[in-house]
Amino acid sequence: MSGLGAFLRGLRVTGKVMVNTVFGDGLVTTKYPQEFRQKPQRFHGRHVLNRYPDGMEKCIGCELCAGACPARCIYVRGRDNPSDEPVSPGERYGYVYEINMLRCIFCGLCVEACPTEAITMTHLFEISTANRRDAIYTRQELLMRPDGSVPHMFPDDPLAQLAELDTADGWLRATAPSGVAAYEGVQAWQGTPGPASWAPEPTQDERDA
Amino acid sequence: MTDLTREGIKATVGEEMVKVTVDGQEFEAPKGQMLIQAAQNHGTYIPRFCWHPRMRPVGMCRMCLVEMETPKGRVLITACTNPVADGMVIDTKSEVAKKAQEGVLEFLLINHPLDCPVCDRGGECPLQDHTIAYGPGESRFVEEKRHFEKPIKISDLVYLDRERCILCARCTRFSDEVSGDPLIEFLDRGNFTQINTFPDQPFASYFSGNTVQICPVGALTSKAYRFRARPWDLVSIESTCPHCTTGDRITVQASQNEVLRFLGVDAEATNWSWLSDKCRFGFEFIESPDRLTSPMIRQEDGSFTEATWTEALELVASRFTEIRDAGKGLAVLGGARGTNEDAYALAKFAREVLSTNNIDCQLDDGLDPQFLAATADRARISDLDSARTILVWGPDLKEEHPTLYLRVRHAVQEKGARLVLIHPWRNGLDDRATHKLTYRPGSGAALLTRLQSEEGEVATALAEGPLVALLGRTGYGEDGRLAEAVAAHVRSLGGKLLPLARRSNVYGALDMGLAPSLAPGRATTDNPGKNAAQILEGLAEGSILGLLMVGSDPVRDVPNGELARQALEQARFVVALDQFLTDSSRLADVVLPVEGFAEKEGSVTNVEGRVQKVNRVVPGPGQSRPDWSILDDLSDRMGRSINLVSAEAIAKEIATEVPAYVGVTWDMLDAEKDGVVVPLPEATQPLVYLPADTPGKSFSGELVLHYARTMFDDGVLMRHGPSLEHLAPGAVAILNFDDARRLGLSDGDQADIKTSQGSARLTVRIDPSMNHGLVYVPFNQPGIPSLGSDPVVTVTKA
Repeated sequence: MSGLGAFLRGLRVTGKVMVNTVFGDGLVTTKYPQEFRQKPQRFHGRHVLNRYPDGMEKCIGCELCAGACPARCIYVRGRDNPSDEPVSPGERYGYVYEINMLRCIFCGLCVEACPTEAITMTHLFEISTANRRDAIYTRQELLMRPDGSVPHMFPDDPLAQLAELDTADGWLRATAPSGVAAYEGVQAWQGTPGPASWAPEPTQDERDA
Repeated sequence: MTDLTREGIKATVGEEMVKVTVDGQEFEAPKGQMLIQAAQNHGTYIPRFCWHPRMRPVGMCRMCLVEMETPKGRVLITACTNPVADGMVIDTKSEVAKKAQEGVLEFLLINHPLDCPVCDRGGECPLQDHTIAYGPGESRFVEEKRHFEKPIKISDLVYLDRERCILCARCTRFSDEVSGDPLIEFLDRGNFTQINTFPDQPFASYFSGNTVQICPVGALTSKAYRFRARPWDLVSIESTCPHCTTGDRITVQASQNEVLRFLGVDAEATNWSWLSDKCRFGFEFIESPDRLTSPMIRQEDGSFTEATWTEALELVASRFTEIRDAGKGLAVLGGARGTNEDAYALAKFAREVLSTNNIDCQLDDGLDPQFLAATADRARISDLDSARTILVWGPDLKEEHPTLYLRVRHAVQEKGARLVLIHPWRNGLDDRATHKLTYRPGSGAALLTRLQSEEGEVATALAEGPLVALLGRTGYGEDGRLAEAVAAHVRSLGGKLLPLARRSNVYGALDMGLAPSLAPGRATTDNPGKNAAQILEGLAEGSILGLLMVGSDPVRDVPNGELARQALEQARFVVALDQFLTDSSRLADVVLPVEGFAEKEGSVTNVEGRVQKVNRVVPGPGQSRPDWSILDDLSDRMGRSINLVSAEAIAKEIATEVPAYVGVTWDMLDAEKDGVVVPLPEATQPLVYLPADTPGKSFSGELVLHYARTMFDDGVLMRHGPSLEHLAPGAVAILNFDDARRLGLSDGDQADIKTSQGSARLTVRIDPSMNHGLVYVPFNQPGIPSLGSDPVVTVTKA
């Protein structure tokens, strides 16, 4: 008898959901692709290459992401930054930037390795393609537009919910200068090469105090 | 730095051994050796930035502080400036030593910008590595760092970023002590000390690239490698430099199948890690977009159309067979820039398939192949270090044999050898010469006769051994046989000699039989063929009909370029195996694309007969093939197969068939870091030296042309390298003031230079160091026709 009680107790949750689904509006499943579920803030979707507020690219072509990548799916080549029409602040910029999404395991080590917060991860996850070549995302496809939106492979696709990016963790980190969303008004990287125009950062002790 | 300090710090390493204790381990080291070196030889690495094993110690960076026990207690000393002494007890890992090292690193990092992500050194940087291994982890410095203008271009090849500099003095010491062009120095004092060049003087040293390699931070970077890759995505394979005959060991580094840089390897036998800029930056031709990628056949209208290998080879085979079977002449030019394996295949193809002895890998360089390949008493490069007297009577080493220049310089400066320098004009070694004799090209034999007969300082110096002589042709105006006559004199004095020739693997090619009078293995042939000059004359007058050019560009590369042009235009059928469409291969009927350096495996032989390996790093472009494979295919189609299957198989054939090379296998070369010096059996030296009284033409009253090479010129490999193509000095005619005034010329005037073999209109430069009656014109400059090997010249104002 006690066995049956335990059995029914175990089915209690299932029964509640079933009743709710049939008679109420408590659907557990989402009507994807008509509806979207909010993904967790730190969701690891496809990458984006960010820009500074003035439109400069953050990527400096240092290849640290490629070096950190355990799947060897990133290919970067740097080049001398043209001084008359600079692409990024500093001497060097990412001339070639390619990620093979078929190989990528979305571990986020590239984001951790990046010294300039140039690469972050978005909530975009619909990256299936009909051929292998399309799975290699080039710099043009990865780089965010000057208005802050991210190019999607199929911009007309109703699946692309670009507005979601606003709440993505990576997005916040990329737009907040010090990498911490709440840390407003503190400059960590300036747009031009040369001596810094701000006071040195507080030391660890001062910060702790 | 004054000589006094240098001498003060210079250590003489003797034979006597002393006992030293480092970190509790007792060992013996030669007295006078620096502690840092002795410890390293016995497995204890002491951190360092400024110390370099091939340069004098200076003690600039203080990174090598270690603790030494003294009767007064333990003290900190720098391991790089203190020679080992008997009973020395050293602790490199004590608390005090560790604290000192941490402190030094914290100081060095005060002004070092943390722009490692954009720095070319990031990932292979001694400062990065040492900071992780010995550094304090955190800096207490929170103030503003020192700032300078970010990279400044100090020469066409090198950029300087003074913010990153840690003032170790490696670059200044290199350019002062090693290369002898002190063009980079410390400026200002104290916290504002910086490295820089002198105002209006670029860092235009032929060896500037070495400073990039030895810089312990990313302060000096090269234009050619700037931002091209990061160290962790480079494939490194050791090889031998394709540019000069010294056989410099290099590391070829490539990424994504693209060769991105050469680094010098510290090979004891040859280059000691140094490379000239021509070697270091002469890799760009490999990736040039102008490389030939498919066979090409010339059409009636002179244009080339791409063809399949079958079409091209069938055409070559049928035309060559036709000429051969008709008993008309065939000839082969070139082969001195490839590997021994390719040279062997070419010699075999020429003799067995083309049935000709008209083979020459030297392009009218004027030196006898037997003298170059089989001379007795051949010196080793290392003999320079033990020589009492060094005689250099040949090309300007700095221009044509840069590694030998550095070795001679080192021997004279550090080992106290005396240098007798005989050259028509200014020479890179002038500042180190004990005796300098200048003479007019063409009167060398007379000078030699005087040296042999007269008593004098120079004759006395030469008589005092051990004597090592570096002999070659000083310029094209010089009689090619003079070097042999000098060699006879040197041998009579009991000296050793190195015969100097051009083109990277010329010695290997001669050893493989690519000479009219040599069979493989330095043996003489019974029936010598024609040499390069005779082949070109034969082609021009029609006694030779067909020509096979292998990696040679006679139109730009022989002194009489006009004759070469005529020859190629007159020839009935010309085939070129080449990497590029050169001025010569443009005139060929069929051009076949070949794999070049870093694209094929093989062995090469250097000036002292040292055989070393070259390795494959990247695939060849398009449909290019190695020489041996093309020749093998042709031999099949011409009905006389030479049966070659692979470069390794040819190497095995060489190791059994070619007398001097018996037993030299690739396995052996891969195992021996410095390669193998092939033996010189006494039986293969049928040298007859010319008498020293070879009549020199008398040129009194006339102007004589000194027509010699410069390091950078319009050579094919340089023309296709973006870094080097602009470095050729350009054609000028350099005259003495008196001669110029006599001819009514002043500096900057245009003048017509005319010899019996060519003429050119050049800008006149007046140089007070030029001898009377001498005109210097650099060879093979862009856009200038060649002037030939006749030294008699007339100069008229244009």
